[in-house]
Amino acid sequence: MQDVIDLNIADFSVKIHAESPVELESGYLPFVNKTDERMTDVDIYCYTGIPENPLADYQLVFEAENSEQKFYSIYMKNKALGFIMYDQQNKNEIQQIAYLNEDLSIWKVYNPIDTENIPLPLKYPMGPIMMHYLAQKCGAVMMHASCTFDGQTGRMFTGFSGNGKSTMSKIWADAGNLIVNDDRIIIRKTREGYFAYNTPMFYQDIPKKAPLHAIYLISHFPENRLKKLTGAIAVSRVMAFCIQNNFEKNLINNHLEFFSAMCTKIPVFDLGFVPDATVIDCIHTHGI
Amino acid sequence: MDLKRIYNNKARFVVREIGDELILVPLTGNVAKMNEMFTMNETGKFIWENITETTTVEELEQAVTNEFSIDPDTARKDIELFLNQLVAKLNI
Repeated sequence: MQDVIDLNIADFSVKIHAESPVELESGYLPFVNKTDERMTDVDIYCYTGIPENPLADYQLVFEAENSEQKFYSIYMKNKALGFIMYDQQNKNEIQQIAYLNEDLSIWKVYNPIDTENIPLPLKYPMGPIMMHYLAQKCGAVMMHASCTFDGQTGRMFTGFSGNGKSTMSKIWADAGNLIVNDDRIIIRKTREGYFAYNTPMFYQDIPKKAPLHAIYLISHFPENRLKKLTGAIAVSRVMAFCIQNNFEKNLINNHLEFFSAMCTKIPVFDLGFVPDATVIDCIHTHGI
Repeated sequence: MDLKRIYNNKARFVVREIGDELILVPLTGNVAKMNEMFTMNETGKFIWENITETTTVEELEQAVTNEFSIDPDTARKDIELFLNQLVAKLNI
């Protein structure tokens, strides 16, 4: 393995090892660490050529597809995982085969032989899947959420697609807040508390981080309305918006443990909101 | 109500206790059901935990009556409602 690229994702070190040149999509480039030597959290070894019968002795355990699109399939052998990543332009075409070892620390990614293009080992959906299992391995979680920081208070906004995560980000950005990210974040627990990090997206953004002080489950509503949630309702409603492949008990238990602990420390609110700056006043007055 | 069928489906869920409540997360092989999870209040948790392979509805009624100091009629109605909701919501 000749080239090694160190990615700094949520302050975790992901090292990509390649036997021949590989490229990263532009969104990953600001996350390349060129300054310091760090302990590795996850290694990714990249190979050219798809193995023959790559998952013959694995069992299919999870399929990520909907009526329009096929994203990936997960297979299992003992506790090790195998993945088929599908090309997003042609859902029946295999983009990559990947293997993840039992302790989630080593990936082997096989790209098809392509004489015209340099392989992209983290091409969607491989990148987000890798980050999800990176979070799992390191005791963190990845959320569909936006996160804002006003210099003192970090706020996470989550909800179904179309419920206003990007709208909420714009409202807070217009009010001078830092937007950590408006779609996908990793949350870590540290000795200093919970922190939200952005992750590489399809566009370029620098790595960002903010302390997390409040969680809002958002939806559009005729007026701004805030209600604090506690107990099992709070935990289940927040966890519903984490990225998860619920085919395995241990992985679910890890998530349940993380969110149960987090929801005792970070207040959770149900927020119906009008898409304008009045929601900021509502949160300052009634929330955190 | 077929309590044995409910009991046989318990293994499909990962369960966590949060105070007096429960969260149930279904094991699933498809991304479409990824966001599904269920919560139970104290009474629901008690009923869920008392469903064993051999439990009868009458035994559940007795247990609920004793635990929550309510009359048998109310207990029967509450259990019937809960079990019907359970079967429907959890797709058992």
